Amino acid sequence: MAEDALRLTAIHKSFGLGSPAEVEILHGIDLTLERGAFCALIGPSGSGKSTLLNIIGLLDRQTSGQLAIGGQDTQGLDDAALTRLRGASIGFVFQAHNLIPAFTAAENVMMPMLLHRGWADAAMHAAADALLERVGMARWRDARVANLSGGQAQRVSIARALIMQPVLVLADEPTGNLDTASADGVFDMMHAMNDEQGMTFLIITHDPRLAKRCGRIIELVDGRIKAETA
Amino acid sequence: MIRWLPFEGIAAMRFMREGWIQTLFILVGVSLGVAVTVFESSILTGVQANFLRRVLTSQAHIVLLPPDEVARPLHNAAGVTEDATLQRPNQRLRSIDQWQTIRQTAAAMPGVRVVANIASGAALAVRGDATAAIALVGADPDDYFSIVRVPDYIVAGTLRLASDDILIGTDLAILLGVTVGDRLLVTGRNAVARALTITAIFDLGSKAANLRSTFVAFRTGQSLLDLAGGVTSLEIAVQDAFAAQTIAQDIAARTGVRADSWITTNAQFFTAIQAQNTSNLVISTSVALSVAFGVASVLVVSVVQRGREIGILRAMGARRGQILVVFLIQGGVLGFLGAILGSAMAAGLLAVWHAQVRQLDGTELFPLLLDPLLIGSTIAFAAVVGLLAGMAPAMQAARLDPAVAIRG
Repeated sequence: MAEDALRLTAIHKSFGLGSPAEVEILHGIDLTLERGAFCALIGPSGSGKSTLLNIIGLLDRQTSGQLAIGGQDTQGLDDAALTRLRGASIGFVFQAHNLIPAFTAAENVMMPMLLHRGWADAAMHAAADALLERVGMARWRDARVANLSGGQAQRVSIARALIMQPVLVLADEPTGNLDTASADGVFDMMHAMNDEQGMTFLIITHDPRLAKRCGRIIELVDGRIKAETA
Repeated sequence: MIRWLPFEGIAAMRFMREGWIQTLFILVGVSLGVAVTVFESSILTGVQANFLRRVLTSQAHIVLLPPDEVARPLHNAAGVTEDATLQRPNQRLRSIDQWQTIRQTAAAMPGVRVVANIASGAALAVRGDATAAIALVGADPDDYFSIVRVPDYIVAGTLRLASDDILIGTDLAILLGVTVGDRLLVTGRNAVARALTITAIFDLGSKAANLRSTFVAFRTGQSLLDLAGGVTSLEIAVQDAFAAQTIAQDIAARTGVRADSWITTNAQFFTAIQAQNTSNLVISTSVALSVAFGVASVLVVSVVQRGREIGILRAMGARRGQILVVFLIQGGVLGFLGAILGSAMAAGLLAVWHAQVRQLDGTELFPLLLDPLLIGSTIAFAAVVGLLAGMAPAMQAARLDPAVAIRG
């Protein structure tokens, strides 16, 4: 049986440790995402969603608790090992698409492969072209990202998040900057990729309409999981 | 995408291209700095080389002279001192004792290229009612003119020094109203006089030298100075002019004669060169620091501007070392390209300067020398300065917390 895509056990996160201003943001989060899950993480501002996402994305470290990505326990890993694991196992989709303006759409998509070295040019181009085709951006493969609309850029950023075929895709309000039509298009795209490739998605969203389209909804309030809807 | 470069190289190039205005400005800044350094160093080297060449082709590297004559007190019986006032004796013209042996010893010394016998002293040149005090140098032309390049300065006549010939300077020719082919009456020591034919007129570039210096055959010099069989000095050229002092000391130790090297007799020349080199070093160091701070400040701004992109790259798996290298490459490339452009600018400026600025006699002020070693070392130095200048901003970039950077 395949390992879970994500397993969080008693995750605590405090800021200002040891200082009078110390504050705990996450109070013992337990969460498991099986492979292929399509999950929404909702909650009011300040509930700790982004902090949790950063910890899951190995961009930040928990104060205590255990985190495993695709069965790989992250405890004891140094910065270099965490970076390797992040690059190979996690894809990111941000609210602002956060593409690198100095590169074209196709180059942005293949950037994670370029960073990891060892990939042949042909393999990188083939993978990027296939994903751009799949997200409907093949025509713009050589476009500078500054010339793309918000919806187009977000599609490119989804392609970039998927190119390493990660265990887990983390999306932080991926439709937050888009109009309704574009937001629906991007969400449909993520759903389709989840169906087709079986990748696990954890999506932060403030949009209840989109959250309802996810297979599972986790509500975070004041640093605790308040409710889960399957 | 340029795939012959790794990610770090591609990202560095793209970042520089994207911020092309910043890149252009700092390239211009680095180029100007390098151009100033190369231009100044080349001119200084050229002028010094020219000056050195003139110094070394107008005098011997080592001159062997008889020891100064000193007065010695007469001693009476042991323990009795003569109460006498000792007067320093005048230094009469006299030959070096045993000069043939000394010449052989000197010629056999390692590093010695040529030894010339010299019979020189004061004389009087007479032409009609006009007279002039002259410095007469009697020498074998084959030896002496390979040390002192008089033939290079001949402006009229042909180089010939038979026993009745004399070479004179342009100013003496004007003073006496003579030209090539005319005869001069030269009166030397003890009223020895000979009529000599002017075979060539030279211009040594100095009025005093052109008025005073004259050259005759060695035996003619001996005859006019009443030095039958003697020499007043032995003049030596060595292979390495800067080894002259050491060789001079060796010769003096072995022969007992006085040996003056051109290094001791031109001490002011070396002081001037040292002062020039010091000022050049100060200017070059200041320029290098300006270039370094310029590159560093541009890269610091770039790191701040690209904070979010750095965070994204880190999220996608870029290691801290990769981010560090991206910014180090930018520093190195800015230094390297700036140095190439600056060297090209300096070469152009030098060519123009060389063509426009001449000495009073119309000869070049400095040889147009573009020392490949200077250019190469400057380019390498600038690239290293660029790399070092990029170190602080690169470390700043590598240390960025990706979560914070992405939030902006």
